[in-house]
Amino acid sequence: MRLKRLVVVPLVMAIGCKPPTPAEQLDSIVSWVSTAKMAGDAWLRHTTPDKYTRQTLELSGQMLLETGSQVLRSPPATLDSAAFDRALTSTRFNIAEMARFVEEKDAGRFRQPWDSLRIYLKTMRDFSASAAAGK
Amino acid sequence: MKKILQLSLGIVTSVGGFLEIGSVITAAQAGAQFGYKLLWAILLGTLCLIFLVEMSGRLAAVSKHTIVDATRERFGFPFFFIVLIGVVLIAFMVLVAELGGIGFGIQILTGVGFPWWAVPVSLLVWLLMWKGTFGLIENGASLLGLVTISFLVSALKLHPDWSSAASSLLPSMPDGDKARYGFLAVSILGASISPYLMYFYSSGAIEDKWDTTYIPINRFIAGLGMTFGGALSMAVLVVAALTFQPRGIQVDTFPQAALMMTTALPRWGFYLFAFSMIFACFGAALEVSLAIAYFFSQGFGWNWSQDIKPSKNSRFAFIYTLIILLAAIPLVFGIDPIKVTVLSMALTSATLPLAIVPFLLLMNDPIYLGKYRNGWISNTVVSIVVVISFVLAVISIPLQIIGG
Repeated sequence: MRLKRLVVVPLVMAIGCKPPTPAEQLDSIVSWVSTAKMAGDAWLRHTTPDKYTRQTLELSGQMLLETGSQVLRSPPATLDSAAFDRALTSTRFNIAEMARFVEEKDAGRFRQPWDSLRIYLKTMRDFSASAAAGK
Repeated sequence: MKKILQLSLGIVTSVGGFLEIGSVITAAQAGAQFGYKLLWAILLGTLCLIFLVEMSGRLAAVSKHTIVDATRERFGFPFFFIVLIGVVLIAFMVLVAELGGIGFGIQILTGVGFPWWAVPVSLLVWLLMWKGTFGLIENGASLLGLVTISFLVSALKLHPDWSSAASSLLPSMPDGDKARYGFLAVSILGASISPYLMYFYSSGAIEDKWDTTYIPINRFIAGLGMTFGGALSMAVLVVAALTFQPRGIQVDTFPQAALMMTTALPRWGFYLFAFSMIFACFGAALEVSLAIAYFFSQGFGWNWSQDIKPSKNSRFAFIYTLIILLAAIPLVFGIDPIKVTVLSMALTSATLPLAIVPFLLLMNDPIYLGKYRNGWISNTVVSIVVVISFVLAVISIPLQIIGG
């Protein structure tokens, strides 16, 4: 029993504590921008509830803030930190706007930030690819 | 006629009850990150599960012993107690994950966070355990779980590349993160070969008063039911591979997983996913709670049967009441069920030898099984899969920790 505890507890803690690499963090950013885009697509087709869509967009924004800050604290050598920071801020702003328009049930105004997200998604993919190539 | 009905129902409930949060999340994560590449792990896990389930039913039908009874009798209480600690600890983590899965399913429908659902959901599970019969728990929840067939429909509607999928049924190494690949393979194997299923199935066979005339039925239920169930798991992986991988979406959270079927089934995909998770996790939560109660009661020699009133079965009822209550606590405090799921599945693989090796020894014991004991095929398949799972777990869990 004691032996089991000695093995299992540090294992559980270590898995929970393993810090992701910058390349993994950039992949995660792409994943969250893409999630916001996909949630937006589904909402525009009226196939997901408003609350779910808004919460998912808010979660995406929050994850982008957390993960983006971690990347900026220790950026990979190949990353243009200033450009990344600008793109991240704009992406987060667009997602926040999308969440607001979902709450207001305004599909017309939702389309503009949702459409811009495609460009930011491509930008984030480029950052991620350059980090992966340089690692 | 009665046996044909039982056979049909057995196969249908095996299909409806196959998916649960572990198999859905691990397959979705695997598909999202590695495409079809981990289909082999589901195939291997399902193959092993077919043999294990068949063996569990055969042991009960021939020896009139559940696995727990026979393990305690054959190996003695001290050894049984070690198995109990390992199996129950992991089954408890699985129960937390399943209750969380139900809560998450309701959360995406209502917008109310899953911690708020932990207590009502646990109460509902407990109430069904308290009032329901074994038949209701075994068949009712699994029949509702048939909604998970929507994953198969989604996979077919996405027109997968069959030759690429077929080639992934043989193990291969990925180009990217090998430690993560190994960890996901281990998690998939753990999700497929959940030992609690064996304990549940063998206890169910005793509850249903199986004898040796049930051996062919048992074979069909294990073979066909688990094969169709495995196909559902593969469908989840295929849907994730075709929906998430091209978009670069990783399945780290439940709201992300909820988008899985919105491309293949635009109109109903979201709701089908939510109801699939609610029903599948509900069925699994009932089965895990029962399996834990069976494990304790049979191990300690108490009265046990889901068909006896709780007043005549007080210690059995006390165990599932306590375990459901305890499982609700971490969820109330907001522990992430997806993290618990992935971890419990990987630990299941790591501890498989503890549950499976004594079971294999029992299945080869002429005192218990006489002429019905295992042949070389069952022994070889199960041993190979358990060794692979264990070795992969021992290698990949530390690699995942140190980041490859």
